[in-house]
Amino acid sequence: MASSAIKSGALVNLTELHPSSQFYEEGASLRVTGKLQDYAVEAAMAIIADGNAILKIDTQHLRDLSFRVGSIYQFIGELHIQADCEAILQARVGRNVDGLDLNLYRQSLQLLRQFQADRMNNTVT
Amino acid sequence: MDHTLQNTHVKLLAFDLLSLTPTPDPATFSRSGKLLSRAEIVGTITSRDHKPSKFIKFTVDDGTGCVPCVLWLNHLTSLYLPRRDPSTVRLIAGVATDFAAKIKIGLVARVRGRIASYRGDVQITVSDVVIEKDPNMEVLHWLDCLRLARKRYDVVVNKS
Repeated sequence: MASSAIKSGALVNLTELHPSSQFYEEGASLRVTGKLQDYAVEAAMAIIADGNAILKIDTQHLRDLSFRVGSIYQFIGELHIQADCEAILQARVGRNVDGLDLNLYRQSLQLLRQFQADRMNNTVT
Repeated sequence: MDHTLQNTHVKLLAFDLLSLTPTPDPATFSRSGKLLSRAEIVGTITSRDHKPSKFIKFTVDDGTGCVPCVLWLNHLTSLYLPRRDPSTVRLIAGVATDFAAKIKIGLVARVRGRIASYRGDVQITVSDVVIEKDPNMEVLHWLDCLRLARKRYDVVVNKS
């Protein structure tokens, strides 16, 4: 099935996305969540934030998504690291997630990762 | 092998579903010694390939993996449903067409269906699609999967 080649976007918090992070890699497929801080219509470039961490999102491939500063968005796409080491996510999927309980999301993500790691270790051993 | 979950839609994360082990019966897979045939997943629809009156193939990404799904739309022409009452077949075909219209890239879907294998990879043959509007539902599904795995799916029943 052709669509099986589509990579899963690894769940990552913006605060974890720094140059020494395992997720900070050219071409990495990621799913990021943050509050829309700014949106440049002509460049189709969004900036989302989570605390002090920010990330640029290239939204040129997204359709039917309206952008409202202050709303929370989730994007799935590929990370591209520019020559100046700035990272931009080329989004292929995006949605407004206003109403998402971010504390529950972050805590659940930790539990999910622990479960996945335990399960994979048990499967291997 | 434990058959207690064989007719249940087990809630699984994608990485778990995609690592199920095939059995000699193509309709059955095993996970930790338990036989499974149906699953429920929740995630973002990230691709869609629609062949009208034939099928719609799509992928559901829950952040741990991408699950290929196929929803058949050929009920009115399929040779495999001749023994069914024609009105029932039309009803099933109508429901499937309604599901197909809901499947759009970027939406979060709860998908139920039969676990199947296609060219060696696990996929879901879809029987139900619900579009989730509440952004917390995906997180709640993660927690459901974790709770059920620890309290039910991973529990070894001692029959002695």
